[in-house]
Amino acid sequence: MSGQEDPVQREIHQDWANREYIEVITSSIKKIADFLNSFDMSCRSRLATLNEKLTALERRIEYIEARVTKGETLT
Amino acid sequence: MPLVTRNIEPRHLCRQTLPSVRSELECMTNITLANVIRQLGSLSKFAEDIFGELFTQANTFAFRVSSLVERVDRLQVKVTQLDPKEEEVSLQGINTRKAFKSSTTQDQKLFNRDSLPVPVLETYGVCNTPPPLSILSPYREDGKEALKFYTDPSYFFDLWKEKMLQDTKDIMKEKRKHRKEKKDNPNRGNVNPRKIKTRKEEWEKLKMGQEFVESKDKYGPAGYPSNMVYQNGSISSDETTDMSYYPPPPSDSVSPPSPSFPDDSLPPPPMDFSYPVDNQRGSGSGGQKRSSLVSPSHPPPAPPVVAPSGARPGFAPPPAPPPPPPMAGVPPPPPPVGLPPAEMPLPPSPSPFPPHPEFTAPPPPPLPAAEYCIAPPPPVSPAAIGAPPPPPPPPPPGPPPLSSSGMDGAPAPLPPPDSSAPKPKSSLPPVSDARCDLLSAIRQGFQLRKVEEQQEQEKRDVVGNDVATILSRRIAVEYSDSEDDSSEFDEDDWSD
Repeated sequence: MSGQEDPVQREIHQDWANREYIEVITSSIKKIADFLNSFDMSCRSRLATLNEKLTALERRIEYIEARVTKGETLT
Repeated sequence: MPLVTRNIEPRHLCRQTLPSVRSELECMTNITLANVIRQLGSLSKFAEDIFGELFTQANTFAFRVSSLVERVDRLQVKVTQLDPKEEEVSLQGINTRKAFKSSTTQDQKLFNRDSLPVPVLETYGVCNTPPPLSILSPYREDGKEALKFYTDPSYFFDLWKEKMLQDTKDIMKEKRKHRKEKKDNPNRGNVNPRKIKTRKEEWEKLKMGQEFVESKDKYGPAGYPSNMVYQNGSISSDETTDMSYYPPPPSDSVSPPSPSFPDDSLPPPPMDFSYPVDNQRGSGSGGQKRSSLVSPSHPPPAPPVVAPSGARPGFAPPPAPPPPPPMAGVPPPPPPVGLPPAEMPLPPSPSPFPPHPEFTAPPPPPLPAAEYCIAPPPPVSPAAIGAPPPPPPPPPPGPPPLSSSGMDGAPAPLPPPDSSAPKPKSSLPPVSDARCDLLSAIRQGFQLRKVEEQQEQEKRDVVGNDVATILSRRIAVEYSDSEDDSSEFDEDDWSD
């Protein structure tokens, strides 16, 4: 009886170990995917604030340039 | 329907039919591990895509920053060179110089095919293409694309554009009417004083909350039904919830900008809006189309400062009124120069030809100034025979092609009809000249048809296809018109 069970048991045991291994891998893949998504979102939001600041700066500089130039053009 | 941007590809690791092998569990494990590796592959592809997008964005910002740094440096140098004593503070300098206007660029075409991220584009690529109905379009009689009847991506934009153009035309017509009325009754004085505006109505409207004020016009004088409708507390002034309560006037569903317009300043046309079929328009509003062609000749007057950038919350205080469109000169100024010489060969043409009344009369007086006069042409009045007629129907706009072609056409038909005088004169009243000849009218008519096509094409080319230009033009027209009528409301708004 144990002779019959042993190889089967060993196989099943091995299979469970394999599945756990695969499970570890897939959950890490999911973590990587999560990390990529959140990194993307946070990067985009920061770039967007940067964009706003840049636009504001550009407008101010345009105004200052207009104030300072007396008809000649800034090259 | 939300589409997933990046889908990691082998979705299911082990949902497969097994090959017939002795050790099934091992087989399963191996298959699963192979799928895991494929998943890692697609994951890395998407990661590269993500970082690539972020990188390009950061790059553009880096360019902008570097240019800004340069500008700041130059400014720094320049400012140190400034000498307060040298500055010119003359009044002339203040007045003659152009005022500073910052260049506000509006983002347009944000969500078209080009800005689609690459993975979504690939998802679209996997789909079936629409059937090749465009092959059939050469066989259509009305010249439309056959595929547009199956699927038309620009449908809503075209709808909105038509509505905006229609609204501008209506507003301009109303303005003309007002001007005419004022012109006709200069001595009317204050016979109809405006109604006394009490604030009680306004406070009552505001009673339920600011959001419901918009519904004032929807149910007419009885504001009660609208209050009933909103009583169960769903407040949003969103169009989608509105639709569940009452079929919204087309303005709500069609034009997103309209909710923020002060309701009173929007003329009724939005209620009457119906998508104009091309043939309808062609027949009915030939004159109106021509009259509205003025708009390309002075595209958006003023508005870049005023024009809203997408969200338009701050719309109630009307902007500094854009310079009233040149139609202020409407009481048609008889073109002083062109008229006397042209008068000689041409006695006034009293007998209008029904098909082209407005075209036969004006060509002789060239009227370059009349491109700003758009009074809808009443038929030529025979009463104006004696005096040099201030040309009653100034030619519809598109005058440069018109007047030039008119001028070309006019001298040409003049000599021939003179030679063939007896024939046409017999059919005409005696006072008329050979210019009233049917032949010349036909000739001019033909020429005018060409010009009309050109005009249409020109109009389509000149009129920018942007949301921004169309909107800004509409707003300019509307605010320049309604600033007189609705100034009362503006005061109320501001004195809150």
